[in-house]
Amino acid sequence: MTTATRDILMPAEWRDFWALTKPRVMSLVVFTALCGLLAAPGDIHPVIAFTSIMCIALGAGACGALNQWYEADVDAKMARTSKRPLPAGRMDREAALQFGIGLAAFSVGIMGVAVNWLSAGILAFSIFFYSVVYTVWLKPNTPQNIVIGGAAGAFPPVIGWAAVTGDVTLMPVLLFAIIFLWTPPHFWALALFMKTDYGAAGIPMLPNVAGQRATRNQIFAYSFPMAAAAIAPFAVGESGWLYGISSVALNLLFLVLAFNVWRNEANEAKAMQPEKKLFGFSILYLFLLFALFAADRKIIA
Amino acid sequence: MTEVERPYTAEETRIVRERQAARSRVMGVVLIGLCVLFFLITVVKIGVWG
Repeated sequence: MTTATRDILMPAEWRDFWALTKPRVMSLVVFTALCGLLAAPGDIHPVIAFTSIMCIALGAGACGALNQWYEADVDAKMARTSKRPLPAGRMDREAALQFGIGLAAFSVGIMGVAVNWLSAGILAFSIFFYSVVYTVWLKPNTPQNIVIGGAAGAFPPVIGWAAVTGDVTLMPVLLFAIIFLWTPPHFWALALFMKTDYGAAGIPMLPNVAGQRATRNQIFAYSFPMAAAAIAPFAVGESGWLYGISSVALNLLFLVLAFNVWRNEANEAKAMQPEKKLFGFSILYLFLLFALFAADRKIIA
Repeated sequence: MTEVERPYTAEETRIVRERQAARSRVMGVVLIGLCVLFFLITVVKIGVWG
């Protein structure tokens, strides 16, 4: 058969390359990394600090590009992701792959040469963990995908800390634990009211595999160790009263919202206001928690 | 299935040129920024600013 028309592959716009980096996810990564960097003991030259944050941002961008390259077919099936450059046909996959690998190599190389090789090594491992362990292995195969995969998003404050100190001690491990334990309730709240989308794409999120009741139980259960990890910096004497009081208040509010999710029996997305509230608050929670921690250690201390 | 190869139309060519120009401008800004950054990193590393 001869077609009179053909799909013309136009060169992608620079905005499409920008969209590949998932700028909104990158903003949270940059923010937590910056807080880790500010909270770390010791001094770092502003130029090196800027370079560290830039490399972490580029590494996160590489993760976004490689994730979108691998998941282009899945993204096309979900309303939330179908307008991304690859499923929308604005870019060819090879360009996305090359962009992702290029960003990853560049960010790790510059981090190693300009900052230190420990932070570069953790950055390289986090890119590998997100792009291969989470995207390729965990996400399509297990409902525990975001539990283990949450580690990828928990590395930035550790990298920021390591950029200043050149080592990893108890405090950055606690910062890692906060994000690691925050990830399941955050994403499962989203997965509850986006269940249909994830189901259509064939991604085994917990609500699709274990049901909504089990997911709500898990959200509430995970909120307790998350709260314990969030308050731990104050409990072990690594922060002052500003962080101590505000972390207790933020976690009480988180637990109340998680309790409302646990009580909710709704099956339809439009009746899932508690889930939407928890999802929205969880983003604000993480921003405030890290900002207050950095302010407490840098300004008050 | 065989696709008919044909060149870009005038309108498509205009869009391609616009996108190439925009990408070149962005790449230029990025490269200049990196030159400045690498210069500053070098100055910091050799200890001129302590």
